[in-house]
Amino acid sequence: MSSTLALPESGAAVQARSARLTPWQAWGLILIVPYMLIFLLFVVYPVGYGFWIARHPHSYVQLVEDPIFVRSAINTLMFLVVGINIKMMIALMLSGFFVQARGWIKWLSVIFILPWAVPSIPTILSVRFMLNPEWGLVNSLIFRLTGEDGPNWLNDPTIALSMAIAVHIWKSLPFWTLILIAGRLAIPADLYESASVDGATNMQKFRYVTWPSLRTLYLTSTILSMIWTLGDFNSVYLLTGGGPADMTHVLATLGIRYLRLDQVDMSMAAIVCALPFVLPLVYFMMKRLAK
Amino acid sequence: MASVAIRDVRKSFGATAVIHGVDVAIRDGEFVVLVGPSGCGKSTLLRMIAGLENITSGEISIGNRVVNNLPPKERDIAMVFQNYALYPHMTVGANMGFSLKLRGAPKEEIDSGVQRAADILGLGPYLDRFPRQLSGGQRQRVAMGRAIVRDPQVFLFDEPLSNLDAKLRVAMRTEIKELHQRLKTTTVYVTHDQIEAMTMADKIVVMHDGIVEQIGTPLDLYDKPANQFVAGFIGSPSMNFLKGKVKANGSIGFEGPNGVKLPLKAAPANSDGRPAVYGIRPEHFTIADDGAEAEIVVVEPTGSETQVFARIGGEEIVAVFRERHQFKPGDKVRLKPDPTLVHLFDEATGKRLND
Amino acid sequence: MRLPSLRAVGTEAKLLLIGIPVLIWTMLPLYHMFLFSISPKDSAFSGKLWPDHPTLHNFEVVLKQQHYYLSHFWLQLWNSLLIAVATGVFTLLIATFAAFAISRLRVKCGRLVMNLALFTYFIPAAFLAVPMYRTMGSYGLLNSQWALTLAMVTIATPYSIWVLKQSSDQLPVELDEAAIMDGASPMQLFWLVYIPLMAPALVAVGTYALLLAWNEYLYAFLLLSKDTSVTLPVGLGNFLAADDSPWELLMTTGLIYALPPAAIYYTFKRYMVSGLTAGAVKS
Repeated sequence: MSSTLALPESGAAVQARSARLTPWQAWGLILIVPYMLIFLLFVVYPVGYGFWIARHPHSYVQLVEDPIFVRSAINTLMFLVVGINIKMMIALMLSGFFVQARGWIKWLSVIFILPWAVPSIPTILSVRFMLNPEWGLVNSLIFRLTGEDGPNWLNDPTIALSMAIAVHIWKSLPFWTLILIAGRLAIPADLYESASVDGATNMQKFRYVTWPSLRTLYLTSTILSMIWTLGDFNSVYLLTGGGPADMTHVLATLGIRYLRLDQVDMSMAAIVCALPFVLPLVYFMMKRLAK
Repeated sequence: MASVAIRDVRKSFGATAVIHGVDVAIRDGEFVVLVGPSGCGKSTLLRMIAGLENITSGEISIGNRVVNNLPPKERDIAMVFQNYALYPHMTVGANMGFSLKLRGAPKEEIDSGVQRAADILGLGPYLDRFPRQLSGGQRQRVAMGRAIVRDPQVFLFDEPLSNLDAKLRVAMRTEIKELHQRLKTTTVYVTHDQIEAMTMADKIVVMHDGIVEQIGTPLDLYDKPANQFVAGFIGSPSMNFLKGKVKANGSIGFEGPNGVKLPLKAAPANSDGRPAVYGIRPEHFTIADDGAEAEIVVVEPTGSETQVFARIGGEEIVAVFRERHQFKPGDKVRLKPDPTLVHLFDEATGKRLND
Repeated sequence: MRLPSLRAVGTEAKLLLIGIPVLIWTMLPLYHMFLFSISPKDSAFSGKLWPDHPTLHNFEVVLKQQHYYLSHFWLQLWNSLLIAVATGVFTLLIATFAAFAISRLRVKCGRLVMNLALFTYFIPAAFLAVPMYRTMGSYGLLNSQWALTLAMVTIATPYSIWVLKQSSDQLPVELDEAAIMDGASPMQLFWLVYIPLMAPALVAVGTYALLLAWNEYLYAFLLLSKDTSVTLPVGLGNFLAADDSPWELLMTTGLIYALPPAAIYYTFKRYMVSGLTAGAVKS
């Protein structure tokens, strides 16, 4: 039996299929107009405009010759490959922690969500001040405990990038943990009960019950997180500003840098260069979400 | 109130035809039940009457109006859905009065309409409650109330009792029938349950694979099923069917599986040796010395009656006895079908052969 | 009273061993922000975990706009609120219309629209920032608060449509059919049946769009530049122009700015968690 909402079309209209619109179809079309307008004016036009700006081959030559672009591409890759995987693994582990039925864990989960809920700018700047080599809280503590000066956190490209990744993790870990918690809670309890009856240890329960059920969700989350992280401007911009010496830029901040230097074509070209890597991920996600 | 006429109605979803030309005439005030197994097209037909499904070809009229091109609200009909389809965010009263409100009726008219329907159904105390606060039977009643309030020409019911437990279903069955006797509104009722059909209908339309197998009163269908499908569908437990040959020369009878002899009152003309299906209802067996030999397989007493599963000529049949017998599995008994109540069907087409 | 078994104590200890670092990790930047906000200027940089003389003076300075960087504090806060609420309202309207058309009216091109929306959802927001900036320029909207609102609506609607469609697909078809039989027109079905039943999802989506706009920094500083029209995050970003800005005031303002979203999140947690996580990743 058809489960779709059969709309009261008239018999005549069926015989001449496209003869006229029913009020239902007509209203349907009217109601998607607002979104289509938004889509055309603020997605299609800017994207088309972006490609048009990036149409000159010499922009790409210039781009590849720019060491900052190469560095940013590497940084972005580090962000995605190292950062996301660490984040997702921690999220997977913490989701197991947060599903434990304890009063205090429930309270902790309420606090744990805060980084995700509050605006980036004050919190990331707070981390930035915390890491100030001269008067920051971290180095003060290190000095007080060990008597030695702490590292110059944000002036070393590697440490600074690692800190940006850490900030990104701090900010988005709660969301992904929440997703994986939802995934874990959806696993039927009787699977665990029957595993217990079969004498499974906790590790075995994870391996044979939890992981098979979470695997798809975990993969999807990882890919979605990668796509979004490409757009994470705040973690780098607010913490390091791309510094020191423009060594910690990622693609998301590089575009703004070129814009500031009045090199919009470079900015768009950088994004166009990223597309061959992004589009397969987007395609994968579209396949998964649009059933 | 109005009559409903369905003339050569067909329905296809894309290339798949689900209803192949159906004709049904429903008289004013009649209670008609569309019954058949799932997927037979009964719900689709009802939804076409309602206007929820368009009509591929043919014609449906309500009263004297052809309604093919009318939207549901102009057809002057009301429908009760299988899962009640009550608006969860509205009180019982608001649910019942919603159609009047949409029509722009004044508040007093809505209130009096709702009150009248609530009185009929005994829903007065529940008008301010929400559907989630009601039991299944009460929700069902609200769904009916919503239909009554509009005082339509025709009521349509789409398997309204299938979400209720067995006991409540029997009670609601009676209630709906009483309601119909009181309001006398033309009713089209869809169910897959033949007992519901038998107990409630003035007229039953048996459907199967998108065609009408037979139209008739409940007892017509029971006594004279037009074909093997109707014979097997109406009645519970279902009719037994034994394949074999008609014997018309000499002593009239039927040669069942493995040569077992079965009685027949009269043979159709020119039917000697004709392969046929012998149909006998479980309740039409007696124990008699001249019966066919049968071996008891399983005995299921229910108190009021006893169902006996037995083998005749190697084929399993079921017989029902009102009187109590002390049968045990493995016992040999002689079961005799009542020859006046035997049905003969064509082996190939399933059509009824005797009258 | 029975003493807990050794094993139970061990499990609890293991859990605490995870719980305490998680708590510190989560709270440290937030506590640090709070610490700055209650520290007098000179002791903010002392590296102590609690100031010797905690004070609310910073709050007073911020709320009374007694600093050059904060001279438009209240106006910028108002701008944030205005843009966030406008984004929430427009996103809700546009996304609900679209979800209703796609999921309930089954409009013919619904699938295509849903795919376009999903595709937009997967464009990293920062990638669209520069072209969006140029686009707003060519529409003559730069420096207008409409520019930021529209950009935020553009970013928020795809996901909102997706979430609303998911949850509206769960409503039984019979409710619509019952309403049709009751004589409802498409718009009556929308306002009288669909909207009330979708309320929880609408709360989730509205809150999502509102918080997205309230928390936005990149688009805000690209599209708005006048001190009187920017949102508060841009105002905070302006502190970074100098190396010796009053960081304790920046942190105080940031803390004040972080309170409403936290409060909104906790108020609507019930709707947000189910609405947003269920729609975010379908497994």
